[in-house]
Formats: sequence, C-alpha cells, structure tokens
Amino acid sequence: MPRKAALAILCFAAMVVAMHAPFVPAQFRVAAMPYRRLVDFHLRDLRIHPPVYELVEPVYRPHEISRDAVPGLTDPNGNLQHFYAALWRTEQHVPGAITRVLHYGDSPTTADLVTADIRSLLYRQFGDAGHGFVLIARPWAWYGHRGIDLHSEGWHVEAATMNRAPDGFHGLGGVSFTGDTGATSTITLPAGHTRMELQYLEQPGGGTVELTSGDTEIGTVETNGGARAPRFAGFPLPPGARTITVRVTFGRARLFGWWFEKSRPGVVYSSLGLNGGQVEAVLWFFGAKQWTAELRHADPDLIILNYGTNESVYPAYVDKTYEHELRALVDRVRTALPTASLLIMSPMDRGVRDDNGDIVTPPVFPRLIAIQKKVAADTGAAFFNTYKMMGGAGTMAKWYSAQPRLVSADFIHPLPAGAAIVGRIVEEALMKGYAGYKAANRLNETAAAGKSQSQ
Amino acid sequence: MQLTSPEYFVLLALVFFLYWFVRRTGKLAVAAVLAANYFFYATWHPIYLGLVPLAATCDFFLGRAIAGHRPGTARRFFVSLSILLNCSLILSSRYVPFLLDPLTAAHPGIAQMEWLLPLSLSFYAFQAMTYTIDIYRGDAEPAKSILSYLASVSFFPTIIAGPITRVAKLLPQVENNALRLSAEDGGRALFLIGLGLMKKLLIADYLGENLVNRVFDFPKLYSGAETLLAAYGYTFQLYYDFSGYTDIALGSALLLGITLPANFNQPYKAINVADFWRRWHISLSNWLRDYLFFSLPGQRSKWRPYLNLFITFTIGGLWHGANWTFIVWGALHGTGLAVVRGLQALRGKRKPNPGPLLRVVSIVVTFHFVALTWVFFRAATIGTALDVLRQIDSGSVAFTNVTSGFWMVLAIAVLAHYVPGSWYKASLNVFTRMPAPVQAMALAALVLGIRYVAATGSAPFIYGKF
Repeated sequence: MPRKAALAILCFAAMVVAMHAPFVPAQFRVAAMPYRRLVDFHLRDLRIHPPVYELVEPVYRPHEISRDAVPGLTDPNGNLQHFYAALWRTEQHVPGAITRVLHYGDSPTTADLVTADIRSLLYRQFGDAGHGFVLIARPWAWYGHRGIDLHSEGWHVEAATMNRAPDGFHGLGGVSFTGDTGATSTITLPAGHTRMELQYLEQPGGGTVELTSGDTEIGTVETNGGARAPRFAGFPLPPGARTITVRVTFGRARLFGWWFEKSRPGVVYSSLGLNGGQVEAVLWFFGAKQWTAELRHADPDLIILNYGTNESVYPAYVDKTYEHELRALVDRVRTALPTASLLIMSPMDRGVRDDNGDIVTPPVFPRLIAIQKKVAADTGAAFFNTYKMMGGAGTMAKWYSAQPRLVSADFIHPLPAGAAIVGRIVEEALMKGYAGYKAANRLNETAAAGKSQSQ
Repeated sequence: MQLTSPEYFVLLALVFFLYWFVRRTGKLAVAAVLAANYFFYATWHPIYLGLVPLAATCDFFLGRAIAGHRPGTARRFFVSLSILLNCSLILSSRYVPFLLDPLTAAHPGIAQMEWLLPLSLSFYAFQAMTYTIDIYRGDAEPAKSILSYLASVSFFPTIIAGPITRVAKLLPQVENNALRLSAEDGGRALFLIGLGLMKKLLIADYLGENLVNRVFDFPKLYSGAETLLAAYGYTFQLYYDFSGYTDIALGSALLLGITLPANFNQPYKAINVADFWRRWHISLSNWLRDYLFFSLPGQRSKWRPYLNLFITFTIGGLWHGANWTFIVWGALHGTGLAVVRGLQALRGKRKPNPGPLLRVVSIVVTFHFVALTWVFFRAATIGTALDVLRQIDSGSVAFTNVTSGFWMVLAIAVLAHYVPGSWYKASLNVFTRMPAPVQAMALAALVLGIRYVAATGSAPFIYGKF
C-alpha cells in the first residue's frame, strides 16, 4: 500500500467530512455527498426528446367546445370577445374578414421567437392573411422574422429603446429609419401577398421614395408635406411578387415600416418587439399622438402587451413605479383603440444564479406578475400568465438542464424549441377561450343550422 | 458518472485501497481494475455490461487468430473483422440516431428504439483497434490473459475521452505484479487530479457559463467585440476543459501505478498547424496518423499525401459528430496541414530557424487559425457559426455583457497557458514534497475554492439591453 498517497487521501476525506460538522460555518461546507448516486444503475431515459416537454409539433385538432375556465387566461370582463368575434368571422370565411393582432414585446419578440410559433399555429387554423408589420431594416442584428429576408443599406436608425428620435416619431414598431438618396431596403416574403403599405413620416422637405419588385414599379411616395404626421401609402403588389425594394430616390425620407397582406380571410399576426423593450420605453418614447394614429390605422382586433423581463432587473422600479406606468400604458391603448381586445401577457420565467450557484427565478418576478394581473383586472384587460403556464418559478433551471436544452445560457432567451413550447401554450389558451366564446354564443349550432337551411 | 463528480472520487478512493491491498496477488488486482471498469460503465447504463465485455472478448480472440496466422488473407480478414466490429460500435453510439431521424419522423413508433447511448464507445473502440491492428502489423504480441486484456482495453479513467492508449502499452503495466507507487508518483497523481479539477471547474466552466455559451446560443445579441472575446474564451475553455479532464484521467491512472500518455503540450504555443497537432489531443492525432493516415494508399506519391491529410482530418471531424460543423472544422484543419506540408516541401531540407519576432507572429497566426476553426466546432449549426463570424466582422465595440470576473479568469487562462513549462515542474515538485496532510489540505482548499466560484462566480448576467 502506497503509504503517503493513502494518508493524503484519508486526510482529505476526513477534512471533507469535518466540513459538515454542525459547528462549521455554512460557507465552508461543500455539497453533501450523493452516496446514493454512486450505486445508481437505473435505466437512463435514452429518448431523444425530453419527456417533460414534448417538442414534437402537435397536429392541430379542432378545439372542443368547453365552458371551462381557461388555465392561465384571465378575462372576467369578456375583453377578448371582440377578438373572438373577429376570429369567428374569419373562420366563417366572410369576405374581407381579416383578424389582426399586434404583439408588442421585448427581445424574444424582436427575434420573432414565440410570436412566429403563435402565428403559424393561428394561420393553420384560420388561414394566412399575410405577414403584417415589418420594420424597414434590421435595427439590430437580432431583429428578424421567420420566413422574411431583409437587406438594407444607408439608413440612420433611431429606436425608442436606444438612440431615440428627439421628436418621438418612432412609428408603429418603435423604430425610425431616415435615409438620404440611395438608401435602400429589400424584403423577400413568403408567396401570396397581394398588397402592401409603406408607413412613413410626412414632413416639410421630405424626399421621394420608390417601390419596385424586380423591374416592375409598384409606386412612388412623396414624403414632402405640410404636416409632420405618420402617413400610409398602400399599393397592390404585382402577381407573384415576393421581393420588394424601397429606395429613396430624392432628398431625405423617414420611414417606419411596411405592412403586407393577402386578399383572403385569415389572421395577420404582427410581431413588434424592441431590444430592451419595456413599458417605460413605450410610454415615454413612443410619441403619444403619432402612436395613437398608427394604432388606429392598423385597427387590430387584439393588441398584446408582453413586457416585464427587462423591468424585473430593477426590483425597486417594479415595486414603486411599474404599476402606475403599466396602467398609464393601458389607458393610452384604450384611448387609441376603445373597442379592440387588450391582453396583458406576462413575461416568461427568467433565471439567475443564487448564492449556491443554483438557477432560480428572481424574487421580484412573482410581484411583477401580480402587478400585471392587478392592472389587467382593474382596467378590464385580459391577462395571460405565461410564467405560470410554463411551470412557474424555476422553469428556466429545468429548461437549461433539459436535453435538448430549451433556453440559452443566459436563462432568459428561449432556444427555438423552448419558444415553440411557449407559442403553443399561448395559442392553446387563446383557442380554448375562443371555444368557450363559441359555446356561450352557440355559434356552432347557428352555423350548422344556417348550413342545413342553405342545403 | 463524470470524472469531476464527487461520486467518481469516492469510487476512485475505494478502488485505490482495494487495488493496492490485493496488488501483490496479481490476478486479484487485475480483477479489481476490471470490476472498477465495468462498475464505471454501468453507472452510465447497464447495457454496457453486455456490450463491452462481448466486444472485448471478440477482439481478444480475433487478436489471437491474427497472431496465429501467417501474413495473408486470413490475417487481413480477422483484422478487418475487428475494425468492422469497432467501427460499428462507434457508428451505433454516434450516428444511428442521426441516420434514423428521417425514419423516426415518418414512423414515430421507431423513436422508442432508444438508440442513443449515453456514453460514446469511440474511445473504447479506438483503443481496441490499436490492439488488433498492432498485432496485425507485427508491432505487438497478443495478450496472454483475457482478464488482463479486458482490464486494459476498457481502463476506466480513459473511457470517456481518452487519452487513447495503445493496449500494448497498458497490458504490461496492468500485468506487472511488482508495480509500486512511489511517494513522488502518488503526489504527482494527486497534483494532476487537483490541477484537472481547477482547469475544468474554475476556468473552463467559468468561461463557458459566463459568456461563451450565451454568445454561441444567440450571437446576434452581442457586439462584435463580445463575440470575438467569446471566440477567444471558447478557445481557452476547450483547452482547459479537455486538458483538465485528461489531467484527472492521468492522475487517476497514476494512483493505480499506471502511466498514460500525455495528451496536451501547450497547444497554443504552436508555430503552425502541424505543430498544433503535435501538441493538441496528441493521442488522437497519433492514432489518426498511425492507423488512418498511414493506411491510406499513395503515401509515396507526390500529391496523394496532401489529399490523404485532408481526408484523414475530414474523417476526424466527422468522428466528432454527425454535423456539418465538424466536417468543416476537420476540412479546415486538413487543408491547413496540407498547406504546411506544401510549404515544408518547398523549403526542402533547410531547417527553419525563425527569429523571436517571426516565431511570435507564427504563434499568433496559428492561434487565430485554430480559434477560427473552433467557432465551427462549437457552433450548433453552420448558420450559427457564420452568425458568429459576421458579428465579429461587424466591428461593433461594446463590452456590456462581459463581467470583470470573466476578464480576470480569461487573463489567468491565457497567462497560465503561456508560462514556461519549468513553472509547472516547480509547482509539482513543491506539492510532491509536501507532507501528506498538507497535500490533503491543499486539495480541500481547492474544493472550497470550487464551491465558492460555483456560488458567486456565475454572477447574474445583466444585459444593458435584452
């Protein structure tokens, strides 16, 4: 027996055991030895997909009509009825029945994580009526929409969460793009879009903008005008057009975004995320008058406010100011869109390391979500508790250790598989609510009766 | 069971006492090693208790069959059978899930086949092939005892990630009844284990958790400077992770009196890609050279060796995983090696004698080439790798997401890598001369340090904007 090595090992073992003596301060204790794991021969789960989170995209099944309350979705005032009514018209293929959704959020939304999944699930159920709003260019590398390709050059970018435009004109999406002659953006879309709209600022001395698809001219927009106000120039798209270019051909023009739709009933789900997006940024740095005009023009059936992650970094702000500001933002949306449905969607769970190195949910998180729920209840808005429906506190810790991993190593941004799970959770809640709405109004029976009469 | 887990060290301590208690009996000591090997495998999955002994027994008898025949068709047949068997083990544990993907998508029931083995058998298979191929080439004799062979080919410290050790080198050590562990070697073993833990848990994991993993998940969220720093960070993370593992494996084996080959030699001091591969994962590069590169046809032709280098390293890349990122990584290294070989051919027999400045420039260039290839190695997809490179190319400078702790650990990682080798030897000497209780205290202090960094090192990562 090698004496010295044996003695060193025994001394080390004795020291580790001694570290767990009752009188030893906690900071000197190493983790308790998991002796049971030493002889743990249980069969590991060898499946490729994690058992807890089924990653296989579900085959859509028509939702059963149910009067049961929808888990995670609170809507005591029936605020979502306007949205459900629009969905019903869309489902019945009423000509021109497009259900429009504006989803405001922070960094996951600006990368179209979660929103792309909700969009694709709703499109499968109700039809694809177009992609909706897209910023003129990528204000940051992280910006992107699924199925959309965007290339640009020559734009000066002013975002409401970064180097803000002094006049507060940030457009519907919160970002302003100013370009001199030659500034250009080219977007490539999925097939089938039939019309587009350019959103811009009319201003004295504004330049001229040309829209083309390949060699075909779509139209020209003069941004010169007496008033400084958001304007919207709509154009039909040439048949089969998928690549559209906007170019400043004269002077200096200021653009906000483009909007694409198709000529058929369906859903248009616009993803409007900002890096660093939070209630404060929208409230203080989206010019109230111009944003109201933009919202009214977009005329959504549902507007979703999905903030909270960035706010959760500042517990004092959450405890003292957040409720007041969220209430003010809801009031602003209500004033702009008195009849549209409004949904406050809580943030996803967020993980941080605690003193033991474990990944935990910050203590402020439940308080922030309680505030969101309270404001929704007080203002009559609907509320969806994404955090709770994901699994509540500690979800990101589980997602981080899941195989395959579902969240980035920052414990904040979901990886695509994680985003798909959240997207499905949100879509399922909305569809269960919709099924309840149809049941309460006996819409299926009415529709069936109408069909039989027509036969 | 990972080599950094507490239960591994309990197992190692138990094996240490049992092994040295019965060492002089010979067979009992070999049986103790074998039992430890299979216990270690079983902690990953009981299926290995069937798979590994079966494969190893086949190789043992194939080795005898090869040795029992004169050079000719029969020997080729038996060695081919052994290669086929071991390649099948690699394929079954690494590529079958990938190959079955389209099938499982079409027939969800097939997903229940549970093909994904939790522990790849690549390193086992590489070691097993050294045995039969060496016998085939006449470089080694077959093992006299099946017990010794089974204990050597599946030696537990080398199972997860090497170092790939020729069975012919292990067998005499395992069978040596007169084997002793000097106080110096015992101290060296403990030093290596402590050093490995430090490399892995204090440096590699810290770098990974605090910037590298986040950037490689979503590179577009970070500035060009942060992305570049993450690429550098990964370059050192990988070295400290892998060499830390190797140190623990070497130390574990040495505690049992068995010496494994070195796997790293300050690889980022390499002056060209060929030099890098003489310093990085040495056991794999030697294996690829001896058993793959030299087996390819056309070694004496003028141009074929260049192609063979490319093929060898592309296959080496593919071995790391069924992903285009690894193929690109391997192809880049294969190309780099071919270029170096070409330059050496142009230079002829003149021995290079670069001055200090040229040497530093060569090291910097080689380091950056290797760091570039690691981007492909680390990224989940080619698209992500290109996103990383585009972000770096964007030239945007901001360090909002880089904590002071990360800067400090990266600086330590860089300095520790480039310190003269004599420093390492000096600290090893100091440790080995310490009395046993002081050695134990040093290790206990290290464990406390690891606990401290695990608790506070991974500080909350607060974005300026997210």
